[in-house]
Amino acid sequence: MNPVNRLKFTALPAAAAILLLPARAWAIQLHLTSEGIITHQLGHLFFLVSMVALIFTVSGKGLNKQKGWRLIQYSAFFFILWNLDAVFGHFLDNQIQVVKLENISFNRMRIVAHENSRILYWVYYVLKLDHLLAVPAMLLFFRGLSTLVKEQQSLGIKKENA
Amino acid sequence: MTGSFLPILLTDVLGSFAMMILALLCLYKARILRELDTDNAVFLYLMWISTGFAVFAVSRSFGHILKQFLILTGNPDAWHAISPYSGGVNTVSFMLVGLITLFFNQTWKINEKILAGRKELEETHIRLRQLNQTLEHQVIERTERLAGSEYKARRIFEQSLDTILVTDDRFNVSEINQAGVVLTGYEKKNMLENKMGIGDFMALPSEWDRIRSLLEVHEYIVNEETDFLRPDTSLVRVLITGGVDYGAFGCGKSFHFIIKDINDKKQMEQQIAQADKLAALGELSAGVAHEINNPLGIILGYTQLLLKENSGFEEDLKTIEKHVKNCRNVVSDLLSFSRKGSAEMGRVDVTRVIEDVIKFLSNHTDFRKVDVSLDLLRREPLIVTGNEQELAQVIINLMINACHAVEKKGRIEISTEESDDGRIFITVKDDGTGIRKRHFSRIFDPFFTTKPVGQGTGLGLSVGYGIIRRHGGDITARNRKTKGAAFTISLPAAPPGDAAPEEPAKDSGLI
Repeated sequence: MNPVNRLKFTALPAAAAILLLPARAWAIQLHLTSEGIITHQLGHLFFLVSMVALIFTVSGKGLNKQKGWRLIQYSAFFFILWNLDAVFGHFLDNQIQVVKLENISFNRMRIVAHENSRILYWVYYVLKLDHLLAVPAMLLFFRGLSTLVKEQQSLGIKKENA
Repeated sequence: MTGSFLPILLTDVLGSFAMMILALLCLYKARILRELDTDNAVFLYLMWISTGFAVFAVSRSFGHILKQFLILTGNPDAWHAISPYSGGVNTVSFMLVGLITLFFNQTWKINEKILAGRKELEETHIRLRQLNQTLEHQVIERTERLAGSEYKARRIFEQSLDTILVTDDRFNVSEINQAGVVLTGYEKKNMLENKMGIGDFMALPSEWDRIRSLLEVHEYIVNEETDFLRPDTSLVRVLITGGVDYGAFGCGKSFHFIIKDINDKKQMEQQIAQADKLAALGELSAGVAHEINNPLGIILGYTQLLLKENSGFEEDLKTIEKHVKNCRNVVSDLLSFSRKGSAEMGRVDVTRVIEDVIKFLSNHTDFRKVDVSLDLLRREPLIVTGNEQELAQVIINLMINACHAVEKKGRIEISTEESDDGRIFITVKDDGTGIRKRHFSRIFDPFFTTKPVGQGTGLGLSVGYGIIRRHGGDITARNRKTKGAAFTISLPAAPPGDAAPEEPAKDSGLI
């Protein structure tokens, strides 16, 4: 049986059952405030997984033989690191709330760590410097694209000469 | 624990700006890539992912910069109000990037299919181009061959000495070559404009009916002999071969004919037959004349002896003597015709002979009312090798015949010509009744005459024919286009400076 027919034979009876046998339903569900950070974290994880998938797909297709795609792979790796940084940082301050940053002045701040943990202080301080991962990731992606453009242009010239 | 906020602040703000700029540059590069190969699905994918990154980078960076600005300017509450929206947009943007990234595998497959299709298309295009080139070469080559063939066919058509005639299915002329125009005597334009048919050229309609029925039955004719009647009423004997062409390449049914002019050939055949006949008659006449000549001599001898003896039958004997002499003259003419006599040959001035003949005939009563005009070539003597008396006799015979043809009151012209190939022509023309067509084949026959009984022996032309043939020449007769007949004697000119008399050539004809 082809997928369309299978869909017809399963979806149509299901739809009929729902319509013909109604039950009590709660149309609007109450959401808790923590759903925001959970969704955000899931988003980071999804982004991370997609970058992992990109690295493996590029390798799987043999594209990593080209410098441009290799740079894109490196970019994906840096995005993975950035996502890990972000997930961990959000986990500490938004989820389990063991650390909190307060601005005292323009150049001073206070990090309130659980039980005044010095390790937690420095870990969080480093995690807050996440642009040190995001910017190289973006830069590598740009370099990758630039290389691909050059390769494509030289290929076009060769074709024209041929 | 407190610490310096500046590293975090600078990293955040500068990093955000860098992210925005780099993302926009990525978008720019991806766009260039896409424009370099619009059919490449992977480049389209990179365009999408760059767009995702740009949205993500701009929204996130904008949020971070705004956050730092609001907190540092003492508006943390404002940031707290905006924060959820900024975070939400941020979440959606990098989820979008992740989602686009996961489509890479599908995009790749689509691209592979596109590339395979494109490759196949290019190969097909190359094959098609090669086929096209081959086809073009073949077309050029065949067009050249066709043009060459057409040129050859056209040359054959135009240069052919035989008539090539093409008619439509109603036998109306649609094409005819120059030889055909000459043969039929009609202008091509007239033939086409007046829709003349091949039947219109034929002298007898019944002949065309016969040939047409043959064409309809067999769809071809081979060497059908018939006469064409030209606009000047002259007849041309022709041989027609033709057939039907059912046409090709959109051409309709047509008939193609090749028509040969066999007039000259026919005339030549007739002349040969005539010469053969006259030769046979000459042999016969010679035999008969020889057998009769001796008894006639005896009869004449005895008659003359009896006349001397005063037998009392003088009147009867003179009648016998007169008729025997007539018979001897006839026999003498027959011997002349058959060349059984002997004659001295020498250099003869044709012009002088003609002038002597005219002078001699001017005293004859029959020529008193005849206007004789001369058109003689006088720039140099026309010398032939022959017997002067015999040649004068031939001219006299022709003049007498012409005089009878004009009924003693017309016009006779004598002209001479010399051709480049060393032949001398003497032509005697009259404006009399001309020669009937049916008499042409017999006028040189001995004893053939159209004169009333007793007025001619019918030996004049035949004797003249024998003399001229013996001189290595020829004599022909034709009707003039205007009125009357023309006899032309053709003789070989004597070699220059050859004064010695010559014997007639042995192979000059047994007549």
